[in-house]
Amino acid sequence: MSVNRRFVLKGAALSSIGLTVDGFIPALAASSEAPIDDATAKPMLVLVNEGRAESMFLSGVRAAAKTPLRVQKVGRDLGFMLDFERRLRHGRPMRVIGLLDDASATLIIDMARSGGARMQWLGQHTAEDGFTRHHVLSTDMTEGCSRQFSRLLHACGDAFTLNEERQNGPVAPRQLTGRSRKAGQAAQWASSTGYLLASIGARTKLAAPLAPAANTPVTGSFVSFSIDA
Amino acid sequence: MAEQKNSVLPRGAVRKEFNKAIEKFRALLGGENVLVNADQLAPYNKVMMSVENAAHAASAALTATTVEQVQGVVRICNEHKIPIWTISTGRNFGYGSAAPIQRGQVILDLKKMNKIIKIDAEMCYALVEPGVTYGQLYDYIETNKLPLMLSFSAPSAIAGPLGNTMDRGVGYTPYGEHFMMQCGMEVVLANGDIYRTGMGGVKGSNTWQIFKWGFGPTLDGMFTQANYGITTKMGFWLMPKPPVYKPFEVIFDNEEDIVQIVDILRPLRISGTIPNSVVIANVLWEAGSAHLRRSQYITEPGHTPDPILKKMQQDTGMGAWNLYAALYGTQEQVDADWKIVVDAFKKLGKGRIVTQTEAGDTQPFKYRAELMSGVPNLQEFGLYNWRGGGGSMWFAPVSEARGSECEKQARLAKRILHKHGLDYVAEFIVGPRDMHHVIDMLFDRTDAEETKRADACFNELLDEFEKEGYAVYRVNTRFQQRVAQSYGSVKRDVEHAIKRALDPNNILAPGRSGIDLDTYKKT
Repeated sequence: MSVNRRFVLKGAALSSIGLTVDGFIPALAASSEAPIDDATAKPMLVLVNEGRAESMFLSGVRAAAKTPLRVQKVGRDLGFMLDFERRLRHGRPMRVIGLLDDASATLIIDMARSGGARMQWLGQHTAEDGFTRHHVLSTDMTEGCSRQFSRLLHACGDAFTLNEERQNGPVAPRQLTGRSRKAGQAAQWASSTGYLLASIGARTKLAAPLAPAANTPVTGSFVSFSIDA
Repeated sequence: MAEQKNSVLPRGAVRKEFNKAIEKFRALLGGENVLVNADQLAPYNKVMMSVENAAHAASAALTATTVEQVQGVVRICNEHKIPIWTISTGRNFGYGSAAPIQRGQVILDLKKMNKIIKIDAEMCYALVEPGVTYGQLYDYIETNKLPLMLSFSAPSAIAGPLGNTMDRGVGYTPYGEHFMMQCGMEVVLANGDIYRTGMGGVKGSNTWQIFKWGFGPTLDGMFTQANYGITTKMGFWLMPKPPVYKPFEVIFDNEEDIVQIVDILRPLRISGTIPNSVVIANVLWEAGSAHLRRSQYITEPGHTPDPILKKMQQDTGMGAWNLYAALYGTQEQVDADWKIVVDAFKKLGKGRIVTQTEAGDTQPFKYRAELMSGVPNLQEFGLYNWRGGGGSMWFAPVSEARGSECEKQARLAKRILHKHGLDYVAEFIVGPRDMHHVIDMLFDRTDAEETKRADACFNELLDEFEKEGYAVYRVNTRFQQRVAQSYGSVKRDVEHAIKRALDPNNILAPGRSGIDLDTYKKT
């Protein structure tokens, strides 16, 4: 076996869609000095595992994406990881966002580092019955995203805590919390995460659209990220 | 060039001085190799320890491609008193990842120095640069059909021999004690000199990767787990690929079986009948590696109770302890050794032996068999999904390879972990006389209370093990200062005397293994 075996992204893609959405208002981009079109001009690769949280995440991504998407299912296949790193290092510019389990995400983030990619957002999420916890490492590019994320979580209805650390920022994290409300959209957090990440650097609506079956809770531990190659 | 807006600075550094250093780094390395923006540095900051990411945030990251550039970096660091944290591949996951030990240190990332300088298939050695990965080496060996075998730790292909050896990591083959197989280093010292260990200083020598000791003091070990130099080349021995390889597992149902397992193994290891670094993994290490999740069995917080562990054993056929070993050699050798091994376990009267034929492609047997034969995989990353939450710290005390000692350590660790609501996820890596008792402390970093508990738990493990005369052989960057204290004040005095002599400006990884001229006070 060679660890150099190639995976063909095109063939392995679960779906490839192009979305055009109109009627946007400046939201996330308004609080950033980053050029609005830079991030969105790149093709977007979405990495997910299999599962309900990931489907919800995709639903949010699709609602926000302005560029064609490629969706790639990720395991811990060595060939995939090495090829992903190679693509980051030598490939065309692209944005990669995703929601993965801890094991896959550990590898993907490390491949991003060795592949010389930039990372604007790293979120660690734990969803329990009626409660979610989020720890976010953000950057200048995602300034304002945590506040927006907090609003989106509030709209979900479940109680939450959100700790934000700014890369290159002060030592103490910023803490945001929300009490439980009776909105009954326990799984919406995953969709909102997808919506938020797909919107980074773009003009978009303030609120993520409600995902189908958002009232059925999803629990577990997940990692979200936004990477630029 | 605009001044940096990065609010993270090296300890004691002044913005203006730091910016001057950054400009010099740019002139030396090129702008693309000097990373100062937040989104460039964030990938270096995914830590898994019980502390905020900010505690290990870098002020900048540099990538060098030549030894001359490394010398240049060291020169600039001396001029501006900038501390650097060097990484090779940076895949030291449970021991601190790629992040620096102290907030503000500049990362020197040697990933682009990734040349396989030489592989000699006759003399069975390699000479590599820091960024070379096991994956690169594996591909090279396979492509060129060389009759050689690698030994690596579980991250395998994505990690590298230089970094793993310099941290005194281990693998799972007969060459699994990696520092023992190291032969010849090239080190850039803090004053910019290039020092070659062993025979490397002899002009025209062709024995640098052949004979370790050279003449006079042998200093190789001094550069491992240390901050006395930057290793830019390393030689190491490669095992000839054996004609026959026979991996096997022995499954034991009860926790207390560890005593007999170790006592029966020891003579087999010391005699060389079983030549490789054997692993004895407990049920939770097995479960995580087989990609089971705790939530499949229990959702209550706290440690996983023993009845649940028994249920998992019943459901999966995993043992309370699962021993993985292998035989290597000609068919005659393997047959003879196999009979000795089988007889030994038969005599013990417990343990179910599983061969490769019986196991087929089942996990975790498959990945264990691959690791023991130098075939890379990423299966063991599944451990991170057992509890989830992104927290992982390896607690790795050394034990005698004596059953009663291993049981004592296992009980002590389990008691402390359970007290703090965490699981005992452990494996013993078996040397002939020692055991690396590796415990993966998994916790949820999104939960501030659990993170605090994990931190307290790790401290208590260190304290309680120390009371029994035990200490870890390696630890993540959060606890290196604490662990250094376990080894006594004289050792620390000597280490700092060496540091003062070799790196008076304290620019190389201050804090590494507790060696830091700025904070150390002689007792």
